[in-house]
Amino acid sequence: MVRGREAVLAFGIVAVTTVAGVLLRGHMAAANLAMLFLLAVVAVAITCGRKVSVLAAFASVAAFDFFCVPPYNTLVVDDYEYVVMFAGMLAVALIIGTQTSKLREFARQAAVREARTGALYGLSRSLAQETRVFDAASRGAELATEILHAQVVIFLPQDGRISFERRTSDHLPVPSSDIERAQQVFESGRASSAGRTAGARYLPLQGTRQTLGVLAVLESGEGDLPLADLIATQIALALERILSQSAAEETRFKIRTEQMRSSLLSAVSHDLRTPLAAITGSASTLRTQDNRLDPATRAELIENISEEAERMERLVSNLLDMTRLESGGVTLQREFFPLEEIVGTALQRLDRQLARRKVSVDLAEDLPMAHGDEVLLGQLLWNLLENAIKYTPADSPLEIAARRQENFLVLEVRDRGPGITAGEEERIFEKFFRGERNSRGAGLGLPICRAIAEAHGGSIRALPRDGGGVVFRIQLPIEAVAP
Amino acid sequence: MKPLLLMVEDDAQIRRFLRAALEAEGYRLQECETASEALAQASARQPDLILLDLGLPDRDGLDVIRGVRQSSPVPIVILSARGQEKDKITALDLGADDYVAKPFAVGELLARIRAALRRSAVFAANSAEGTVRFGNIEVDLENRVVRVDSEEVHLTPNEYKLLQVLLRHPGKVLTHRQLLHEVWGPNQTEQAHYLRVYIAQLRRKLEREPARPRYLFTEPGVGYRLVIEE
Repeated sequence: MVRGREAVLAFGIVAVTTVAGVLLRGHMAAANLAMLFLLAVVAVAITCGRKVSVLAAFASVAAFDFFCVPPYNTLVVDDYEYVVMFAGMLAVALIIGTQTSKLREFARQAAVREARTGALYGLSRSLAQETRVFDAASRGAELATEILHAQVVIFLPQDGRISFERRTSDHLPVPSSDIERAQQVFESGRASSAGRTAGARYLPLQGTRQTLGVLAVLESGEGDLPLADLIATQIALALERILSQSAAEETRFKIRTEQMRSSLLSAVSHDLRTPLAAITGSASTLRTQDNRLDPATRAELIENISEEAERMERLVSNLLDMTRLESGGVTLQREFFPLEEIVGTALQRLDRQLARRKVSVDLAEDLPMAHGDEVLLGQLLWNLLENAIKYTPADSPLEIAARRQENFLVLEVRDRGPGITAGEEERIFEKFFRGERNSRGAGLGLPICRAIAEAHGGSIRALPRDGGGVVFRIQLPIEAVAP
Repeated sequence: MKPLLLMVEDDAQIRRFLRAALEAEGYRLQECETASEALAQASARQPDLILLDLGLPDRDGLDVIRGVRQSSPVPIVILSARGQEKDKITALDLGADDYVAKPFAVGELLARIRAALRRSAVFAANSAEGTVRFGNIEVDLENRVVRVDSEEVHLTPNEYKLLQVLLRHPGKVLTHRQLLHEVWGPNQTEQAHYLRVYIAQLRRKLEREPARPRYLFTEPGVGYRLVIEE
């Protein structure tokens, strides 16, 4: 089949060559003019394909004979040597034309292959970015529509049935018969082409273990069916990857939760049982041996109960706080407030425990207001102070200082205690970590501090202090200008 | 006659130790376990103070405050669970006088009860005149003069107004909203940072160490409390 546009182009090339031949025929040998015509045939072969180049070969030889071989303007020739020349010229023209157009065809096929590979590569790359099944299916259908130049819809199953709701296109009219067809393909896992419209094709999205959905190519004209198969395979792979990933994710999450829970349980059961044992023991002693106890012992036992109950209370509060912070159950009630408010409150609450200590407070004059949750940041400071009280000698001094450093509020709690064992500066912020000196408590105070600092977009670190002791440094970003 | 307390608490163990502690202090006691019972008793017995747990089996404890406040200014002290700042604020805004977070030491609770009873007595005597002295501070309410260590301190009109409101409710937690409303009027109740700035200034003028206040305490996330007795 020769297309009109190509024929006209071929005719044009031969005509131009002929005109050139006519103009040059007095000045050049006929053999050299023949080269021009061969060139024309090559040009036609390159631009218009094999069939047209055959016609062009005959036309060129005829035109050469008619216009450029004397006597001019007739096919009759003087010299019979020309007949040999015509035959040779025709043969050469046919061979060149055929070979050239073959090359051209190869190049075209290579380009098609390249385009297809590119399209599939693009498809797989863009599917690789998707993390949800439905998103991947939508993206796949969209790209398949582009690549195949046909409308493509992907149907996904819901509880084992292909569902009208779970399809990738809203605006295509898809009657229920198509859903049934999709269901059949989904169940059998075999492609079907008996669609509603001629050329429609239903391909199963075949995973390694099961069919994951159905890709429907609707209203495709010529349609590149092998390509559609490849696309279906790609999409199926992507869906399978996402499904197995979310399954793996879920498993990992379960394992992590399980580990968390068991370490929590072992820490909690130990830390709750110890004070509970002390309380039960003291209380039962008081009940059963009351009349045999001297007043001092009795007072001691009562003190014991009260102290251990307080210890349990702290632990339970910490556990609750940690759980709430970790589960995202805390929304920050952000407000602007001067840091001295939480400093004052924390010192007041710890008044009794701080009895013999010297606590100095140094808040810079130009300190901007903090922007954060007053209750949580107050708790952070309280936890740090309580930690210091617990792990430093009862008469060693404490310092609380705050200053502005570029765009950060820096709050420090400094002690003169024994310091932190080298290498444990980060680990003390881990849940349930027990340092050498840390024998009591569930190791939750500092992790809570970190969780609170991080919830505010800030950080907390423990640094060794010149001259002995630890500096706990909290950095909070100064986000907005205080009103 | 000793004051009559109405205790509204659904947990038997807590009632038991409260009963022991309160009766040891010589208070007369009426106990109930539900909100509807509390409302009935509050109007029938006319207690001098109500001790109210917010988590009640039949209705929200906040409903009890609303109901009681319709007819009576009786002091109400809330027993709340820890970490429920929102409930505390709502309770105070509805007219509760104070709150104690569970678990609490009995000494703390008794101090709050005493302070609330005293406030209502002072309120009844309407003695907010003359000069108030606490610690090293002296406030001459008639001449609007404030002295710290006998030195006159200049307060701006808003600072003075704020101090005045706090002095009217000594020992009571006043929420941000209540203070803003009293000092700046009903349209400014969301501008909590104004209040914080003025409180900070007031502390600078009245307290020796503003970061370790002796009188003007912060109730984190809730409001402020002026304590004028040691």
